[in-house]
Amino acid sequence: MSENTNFLLNIRKHFGNFTLDIDCKLQEKVTTILGASGSGKTTLLNCISGTLSPDEGKIVFGNQTYFDSESKINVPPDKRHLGYIFQEGYLFPHLTVEKNIRYGQSRLQRKNRNSISQVVEILEISQLLERYPNQLSGGQRQRVAIARALAMEPQLLLMDEPLASLDGGLKSRIIPYLHHIKNEFEIPIIYVTHAINEAMALADEAFLIDDGKITASGEPNQILASPSALPIAHLTGVENIYSLPVASSDQQRGITELEIGKQHLVIPYIDVEIGKSVPVAIRAEDIIISLEPDLPISARNILAGIVDEVDDQTMLSILVEGQRFSVKITHEARQQLEISKGKNVYCVIKANAINLLWQDS
Amino acid sequence: MRITSAEVAALLLSVKVSLFSLVVMLPPGLLVGWLLAKREFRGKSILNTLVMLPLVLPPVVSGYLLLLLLGKNGPIGQLLSNVFNIEVIFTPFAVVIAISVISFPLLVQGIIAGMASVPTELENAARTLGASPLKVFFTITFPLAHRGVIGGIILGFSKSLGEFGATIMVAGNIPGKTQTVALAIFEAVHLGQDISAFRLVLISTVLAFISIWITERITISNNRIY
Repeated sequence: MSENTNFLLNIRKHFGNFTLDIDCKLQEKVTTILGASGSGKTTLLNCISGTLSPDEGKIVFGNQTYFDSESKINVPPDKRHLGYIFQEGYLFPHLTVEKNIRYGQSRLQRKNRNSISQVVEILEISQLLERYPNQLSGGQRQRVAIARALAMEPQLLLMDEPLASLDGGLKSRIIPYLHHIKNEFEIPIIYVTHAINEAMALADEAFLIDDGKITASGEPNQILASPSALPIAHLTGVENIYSLPVASSDQQRGITELEIGKQHLVIPYIDVEIGKSVPVAIRAEDIIISLEPDLPISARNILAGIVDEVDDQTMLSILVEGQRFSVKITHEARQQLEISKGKNVYCVIKANAINLLWQDS
Repeated sequence: MRITSAEVAALLLSVKVSLFSLVVMLPPGLLVGWLLAKREFRGKSILNTLVMLPLVLPPVVSGYLLLLLLGKNGPIGQLLSNVFNIEVIFTPFAVVIAISVISFPLLVQGIIAGMASVPTELENAARTLGASPLKVFFTITFPLAHRGVIGGIILGFSKSLGEFGATIMVAGNIPGKTQTVALAIFEAVHLGQDISAFRLVLISTVLAFISIWITERITISNNRIY
């Protein structure tokens, strides 16, 4: 967002035991709000869109006040001109794809209506215009939903987990479309998700939301390094997430080395300038514990660390250069290696088990 | 045996008053159905009870209450007679009022069922796309609720065609004026004109069968695209 269109959110909304209590200012073009399900993300978007009214607070976008409990302002959703893309799409089942896309255009004066050809082209749905929503696949449906929101020429796009209902392969096929939208439309975006990788792929700034409150905010890179990001990382099934600077990169050898304190973490080659931090993820079950550093094995990483915590189950917490590694080993392995708090161990990790969470495009 | 002119008159009257009642009651039916299906407000359960009451009251009781309201000494009857010089009781108009009150719950029930089946999220999506509440109603809620609405219309209409108890209380049984099919059957049986009664019974049964069948077809049809 440019300087004069920043977005002020000050919202309190109670539902039984749950309280949404948000006070923040969004300033960038793409803001990601990251949180587990039930953390209040959708409630927040509904308050912004006007389909739900906060109990009290203020919602101000640029110079337009959408909601102000003190001066009793509550602009109805149809007058806010915000494009809302829902997790389930919510296409109108009785209208063709084309009529769905044109639905939001009737608010525009006839002479000001752009043709829908641009959105249709970018989202590659020109073949689908005559179809009905139930004749579309999940990915097509979501692309149409995105097109419908764009065609109304909104001043802001709200995206509520637009990829959550799609499976992995489809997700990665929709993400490029989102990049297109970010680059080709001058519309700020608020993107809500619980999936770190898809959110960070777009974000200029990020907010973590937990139990109705914002627990961290900042650049996506910084956010993930903050301890409050951990619960979300666990949710997505990745226990270890780090933001580490690139130490060296060698295309011929096919590896890039990241700095982790005085040690190095070797990952498959990426084209990133030296010194820049990249976010990487390692699953707890992809780490092997060894008592010896010199092992004749193919794994590229053997990092020295100290056992910091041993839980009753199968998880170990190991400190490597101050970074915490969660490691999953069997009870039997733990007994054989006589793992206990304070023991010096080595974390063995294949370079290919280290996933880059996202890469700036 | 040919159908008699009195029987034809009864049939025509039934169809006419039922159609007229439908046209008059559909707009309030849609409004009340929408309120009950989609809105939360104080007194909602009271409105619901009032609308549904004629469904469980004996029609004769509803008719009697109408008679009290519309009769010469009733509040509405007095008003109509003093201000407009109109007598409602024992006129075709009384038939319309009687069948409207009795069939309204069925009409509204169908409309409620149809509208409740339209997800609120779709309506909210339409609102965010710039549609006013009225536009949402006409472009989203109503088209998606059309099966329930048609079901309500057909059931209400069929009920109107066959209404007896309330009609006879407020409109009497005047051949050619207020005598509907149901009343004509009653009279025929009463006078021992079994063949005439049988013809009318047959026609009524066929009509009722057709309406229920159409309703079923509409509610279960999957041949539409959505």
